[in-house]
Amino acid sequence: MSVLRVVNLKYKYPDSSHFALDDISFTVEKGEFVGIIGMNTAGKTSLGYALSGLIPHFFKGAYGGDVYIGEMDVLSHEISEITAKVGLVFENPFSQMTGAKFTVYDEIAFGLENQGVPRDVMHERIRESMKLLDIEGLQGKNPFSLSGGQMQRVAIASVIAMKPDILILDEPTSQLDPEGAEEVFRVVEKLADEGMTIIMAEQKMEKLAAYADRILLLHDGKLIEDGKPEEVFSRDDLREFGVEPPVYVKVARTLGIRSEKTGQYPISLDEMPRERELRFHPSDYIKSKTTEANGTTTAELIVRDLHFGYEKGQDVIRGLNVTMSGEPIAIIGQNGAGKTTFVKLLKALLKPDSGEIYLDGNPLSRTTAAKLASRIGLIFQNPNDQIFKHKVIDEVMFGPLNIGQSSKEALANAKEMLDLVGLADKADENPYDLSLAERKMVAMASILAMDTDIVIFDEPTMGQDVRGKSKVKEIIHSLHEKEKLVICILHDMDFVAETFGRTIIFSDGGMLFDGPTREAFAQGDALRLARVEQPHITKLVQRMGYDRIVLKETELM
Amino acid sequence: MNNMTLYVNRDSPVHRVDPLTKLLFVFISITSTYISANHLAVFGILLFTFIILMTGNVFKSILPVIGVSFLLIASIIIVQGFFHPDRATVLFEIGPIAIYKEGFSIALLITLRVVNMVAAFGVLILTTKPDDLVEALLQKGLSPKFGYVLLSVLQIIPQMVALTGKITDAQRARGMETEGGIWMRFKSFLPLLGPVVLNSLTETRERSIALEIRGFNAKGNRTFLYERETYRYSMPLRIALIIFFLAVIVWRVMS
Repeated sequence: MSVLRVVNLKYKYPDSSHFALDDISFTVEKGEFVGIIGMNTAGKTSLGYALSGLIPHFFKGAYGGDVYIGEMDVLSHEISEITAKVGLVFENPFSQMTGAKFTVYDEIAFGLENQGVPRDVMHERIRESMKLLDIEGLQGKNPFSLSGGQMQRVAIASVIAMKPDILILDEPTSQLDPEGAEEVFRVVEKLADEGMTIIMAEQKMEKLAAYADRILLLHDGKLIEDGKPEEVFSRDDLREFGVEPPVYVKVARTLGIRSEKTGQYPISLDEMPRERELRFHPSDYIKSKTTEANGTTTAELIVRDLHFGYEKGQDVIRGLNVTMSGEPIAIIGQNGAGKTTFVKLLKALLKPDSGEIYLDGNPLSRTTAAKLASRIGLIFQNPNDQIFKHKVIDEVMFGPLNIGQSSKEALANAKEMLDLVGLADKADENPYDLSLAERKMVAMASILAMDTDIVIFDEPTMGQDVRGKSKVKEIIHSLHEKEKLVICILHDMDFVAETFGRTIIFSDGGMLFDGPTREAFAQGDALRLARVEQPHITKLVQRMGYDRIVLKETELM
Repeated sequence: MNNMTLYVNRDSPVHRVDPLTKLLFVFISITSTYISANHLAVFGILLFTFIILMTGNVFKSILPVIGVSFLLIASIIIVQGFFHPDRATVLFEIGPIAIYKEGFSIALLITLRVVNMVAAFGVLILTTKPDDLVEALLQKGLSPKFGYVLLSVLQIIPQMVALTGKITDAQRARGMETEGGIWMRFKSFLPLLGPVVLNSLTETRERSIALEIRGFNAKGNRTFLYERETYRYSMPLRIALIIFFLAVIVWRVMS
C-alpha cells in the first residue's frame, strides 16, 4: 500500500490560462525520500500545495485527477484532516509563523494543541523536535525576533512535532547557512529512516544527490522523469530544464568517469574516486582570468571600531574594523552572526552605538539613510520587507524618482533594469502575485535602477534556480565593470567561489578572516566556527588527493 | 527587538491575577463609571484603577495612551463647556469666550470616564499576556477563530508599528527623507499609510496558509500546552467585584 498516490493530476490557478500541474502521476512508498527538481516555474511549489490539500481547498481553480494520502483522497477531505497526515514546510520562514504565540516553544505547540495532543506528549514532542533542529537555545524567544535561518528551523520543528506521515519541504534550506542546511538534510534523512515519507523540492543538487532515494524532474507542470538520482542526474539535457547537475557529475563528465555497466556518472562526493590524476590550469592563467577587471577604482567604505546592539548589553556587532573597496566582496557566516545588521549599519538604517563608518572619507553619522540613497543601495534579504507598491514598475521607479531623476529617466532606467533581471513582461503586475524568486528580482531591479556607487546584496541567490543565479552573477560582474563596489551576503559557497575575489568570514558579530577567497576557503578552523563549508569543487579536489584550493571547475583541465 | 505586544513583563500581584477576573474588572470598572453620575464616585473609581496600575508597576506605560486621548478630552471640554444646553453660570472667561459651569461639569465627568476606560483596559492589556487571555477565553468555550481575531486585535498596534518601521526603512533606503523635524516626520507619515494597510492585508493570506497547515481548523478537541494554575483569590475577587457592581446599581436606583 503506497503512502501517497498521484493520478493524472492537473491544476490551473484561477485567472491563469496554463496548467501549473499538467497530468502528473506517481506513487511514493512509506519511508522514501523523494527529491523534486526543476526550474522556478516548473510547478514544484504547486505540487507541494496539491499534496497537502491547499490545492484545491485553499487555492481554488481548475482541478482534475486524484491525490490519495494512504486511503484518503484529498479532494473530498478538509485541509485539517489532510494536515494531520501531511506536514508542509515552505520557503519563506517569515510567513510560516502563526503569530498566535509569543515564544518559540509555544509556537511549536500551536499545531499540537489544534490536533488535541495530550499535554505531556506535547512537551515531549516539542523538546524532541527542538533538539533535532538544534534550537533549544531559542525556546524562550519571540519567533519574530529571530533571524531568517533560525526562523526556518522553528518552522521545520513546528511541523515535525506534528508527526506527519508525509513531510513536504519546499526549498527549506534556501535561508540557512551551509552547516544548518546540512543539518536539515541529516534530520530529514533520519526521519525517513524512521518511516516518515519525505518529499523535498530543492535547488541544492549535491545534497539531493547524496540524500534522496528518488528524483522527480518537473518542467512546465509536467513530470519529465521519475527515477533514481544517478539516472536523472546523468541526463545530458538537464540544462534544458533549467537544472544544473551536481558538480561531481560535471567533473566526472569532463574526466570521463562513469560506470561501465550503466553509463551513469557518480553523483556524490562519496562515489567519486579517491585518487585520480588531475591537471590544473597554471596559476598565472587562473590569475589572469579572475583578476582581469582589477585595478578599477570604486567608492570606499572604512569601518572603524564599530559596535552595535539592539538591546543594551547585547552587542550584535563587536568592534569591527574593515576597509572595503575594489573587487566584489562576499560576506559569509552562520545565521544570526550579525551579517544583515552589519549591512544595515553600512546603509545608515541603523545607528552604531560607537565607532564610525566613512564613505569616501565622510562619516556616515553626519548624514541620513535617505541622503545616502544615491550612493549606497541595499537589497533586503526578505523582498516583502522592501516592496510596498502595487505595481512592479512603480516599485522600481520609486527610488530613482526620490533621488531626483526625471520621470522619463526613471521610467527608462526602471525598464532597463527589469529587462536585466528578466521581468520586463511583468512590469504591470502586482509584486505580490509573483513568486518569491521573482519578488527578489523586483527588489534587485528597484535598487539597481538608482545607479548607486555601492550596491549591497543580502542573500541574492535565495530561492533562485540556475538561471536566476547566473543572472545574479552577471549583474555582479557588470556592476564591477562599471566601477561599483559590490558587497554581498551569501550562504551559497559555490557561488562565492565562482564570483568573488575577496571573502569576509563573519562569526558572532566579528570577522574571523578577511582576504582572497582562495585563502578564505583554506581556513579550516574559521570556516567551522562560522558554520560554513568549502565549495563542492574544493572538497572534491581535496578528496582526490590534492591540497590546493580549487574554486571553479574551469581551473581543471 | 519588538515584542509585538503591549504586555509589560513584570512580577506583581496584579500580573498574577487570572485573565478572566481582570476582564470582569474592566467591565465593572467601566460600566460603573457610566451608571454613577457622581463626580466623586467616578473619581474614586478612577483613583482605584490608577492604584491597581501602580501596584502592577505599569502606571508609566499607560501615560502615553492617556496622552493620545488628550486630544479627544480637550475637544470634549471645549464643546461641552461652550454649548451644553443647560449653560447658565459662567465659570470663567478666556478673553471673549465663556466656559459655563454646567457644561464644564459634564465635560469633567466624561473626561474622568474616558480616562478610567483607558486605564481599566490598561490593567488588562499591560499586565496580561495576550495568549493567556485568549487561552482563558478558549477554555471557557470561545471559538478559536474568534480567539485568533481577538489576539490579532491585541497585537495590531505593535504590529502596525513594526510594519511601519519596515516600510520606513525600505523608503529611507531609497531616498525618501523621514528623519528630521516634526514637519518632515509628518510629511513622510502620509505616504506610509497606504502601503501599511495594504501590506498587512497581503500578509493575511500568507498567515492563513500558515494557520491552515498547522491544523487550525481541525474539528476535534483541542488541548492546551499549559495547565493554568487556578488563581487562589479569583473567587473572592470576583465576588467582591460583583457586590460592588450591585451596590453601584442599587445606589443609582435609590438616589
